[in-house]
Amino acid sequence: MGDILNAGFIQELLLSTVRMATPILIVSLAELYSERAGLVNIGLDGIMALGALVGFLVGYTTGNPYMGILAGAVAGVFVNMIYAFCVINLCAEQIVYGMAINIFAPAVASFIYKIYFGVNSSLIQGPLMEALPIPLLSSIPILGSVLFNHTPIVYFTYLMVPVTAIFLNRTKAGLNFKAVGEFPKAAESLGIHVIRQKYIACIICGALAGIGGAYLTTCYINTYSDGVVSGRGFIALSAVIFGRWMPGGVLIAALLFGFADALQLRMQVASSDTPYQLLAMIPYLCTLFALAFFGIKKAGPKANGKPYLREER
Amino acid sequence: MKKLLSIFLTMCTLLALLTGCGASKTAETSTKDSKDSKNKTYKVAMISDTTISDGGWGAACYNAMVTAAKEKGFETQYTDGLKTADFAQSIRSYADLGYDLIFAPGNQYSDAVKEVAKDYPDVHFALLNGTIETKNIVSLLPDAKQIGQMAGALAGLMSKTNNIGFIGGMELDTTKDKLANYEAAAKAVNPNIQVASAYAGSFSDTAKGMEIANSMITSKNVDVMFGDASAVDSGARQALASHANAFDIGQPGDLVKDDKTGVIIGSVVTDNATMIKLCMDDVINGKFGNKTIYGNIENGGVSAGTFSDKVPEDIKTKYLEIVDKIKAGTFIQK
Repeated sequence: MGDILNAGFIQELLLSTVRMATPILIVSLAELYSERAGLVNIGLDGIMALGALVGFLVGYTTGNPYMGILAGAVAGVFVNMIYAFCVINLCAEQIVYGMAINIFAPAVASFIYKIYFGVNSSLIQGPLMEALPIPLLSSIPILGSVLFNHTPIVYFTYLMVPVTAIFLNRTKAGLNFKAVGEFPKAAESLGIHVIRQKYIACIICGALAGIGGAYLTTCYINTYSDGVVSGRGFIALSAVIFGRWMPGGVLIAALLFGFADALQLRMQVASSDTPYQLLAMIPYLCTLFALAFFGIKKAGPKANGKPYLREER
Repeated sequence: MKKLLSIFLTMCTLLALLTGCGASKTAETSTKDSKDSKNKTYKVAMISDTTISDGGWGAACYNAMVTAAKEKGFETQYTDGLKTADFAQSIRSYADLGYDLIFAPGNQYSDAVKEVAKDYPDVHFALLNGTIETKNIVSLLPDAKQIGQMAGALAGLMSKTNNIGFIGGMELDTTKDKLANYEAAAKAVNPNIQVASAYAGSFSDTAKGMEIANSMITSKNVDVMFGDASAVDSGARQALASHANAFDIGQPGDLVKDDKTGVIIGSVVTDNATMIKLCMDDVINGKFGNKTIYGNIENGGVSAGTFSDKVPEDIKTKYLEIVDKIKAGTFIQK
């Protein structure tokens, strides 16, 4: 064990943590915006799958991964609008429609891929976004390459954490936004347009989750395959609860999960004799324990998951 | 907004109607077929948990079925992206539709096939990597030991750092066989070889494949890898491509010619089409059942693919000699 605990190993481990936490973090932030406006969206996995496909497809045809990310965001917004219309205007059950998106969107993605690329013996490869090292900061030993030598989407994701925190806690618009998730009737009586705020939440959620999906296929790896999302949307969902609906908490949750996953892969490589199922459990065990210890007190938005009927008393 | 919704709903109904028509049509022809069995068009269906466009296992199996069907005049159909709970239901519906042969490409379908097969004695089932032999189930078994040995020998010959890696998708019996023989063969050609292995726990999480390969390269100095995890291997190849002098061995198709990354140095090719053709012959001749069709180097079921230009001539010759030894069964005694 001693030979692997050197500086190089730790640097690689941390680098891998940042890489693996990024898609979870951006999608958790998507869910955070949605839940803060009182909309539980469990369709994240589906939105990501469609974002991943559209991002890859546009990146592949234009040769520009940035266009891919943008297209992924647009596709995410589009598919989330189905959810938005049903749960906001029709006041339908949020869990049911989230699940519907989870079934519908990956199937559409799979269908489009099959129509466009056909059946190949190897995966089609698209362009990959180049890393953009930040001058000066990236030359700091160890930390430099861990934190400041990534694709712009990674910086964007981590920047979104303080931006979201400031928006939700320090701006009037943010407080209005949160009010919708806490007590929509009171918010409405004070002149906040609840329906509009909820739609804004859905647009932000769809865009960020779409970017999270597109990140997988344009920044992380250069191919699309069905199931590339691999349940990251659901992990993001639990990261929001674990992070107690706070941007900082969500960041910690995503990093913890990324770290545990990166660590378990390295432990598998280091000791081939240990049954891999045992090690593969580590990230989920971490989440489970963390939830058990930190998630006891209910801290979510009060009107979370409840439909808002405007006419009702 | 309401108009849009109504258009959407109309489209949905239309779609449902169309699929309904499609299904009933096939059912009709099947009853007609069974009446005059002389001019019968045989039909084969494949089910899959991954999609057929996964660029790996699913694609290879689907292409094998289509190739075999073209030659033997079978009609093909498939259902992919199935969940484990839906395996049996999907097989059953194909049996109900009058399909003659149902191809289940993997060990994971064993239970579902066994369950359905006993209710449909007239339908034939081909189970790839299976171990079941009944009246209407035939197992197709490419020799995982030979596949592992061929990959291990090439990895052992090509490794400069004496460290090679293996990625598994799930801990299936065939994967375990491949890993054990990969390790044994590599050690037989180079006693100093160390093998690092890891399981992705998935066949589709390409990002995880990349992370595993990365960690093997950086922490274990691995320079040749072999994978049994379908799309996950593509992710591993991407990580290998970002390092100089790191290579991958492909399977189950001959992947070198389509490889743009340049990391694949050779492939261990499994020719499922040959085995499915044998099955189809048996279906047509009415001799189906109670056997396992093996695929090995001897009958062309397993073979060495093309090499990339990264493999020096002397290693090629040495490797092909070893393949001959594996074929004769004199390479590793187990």
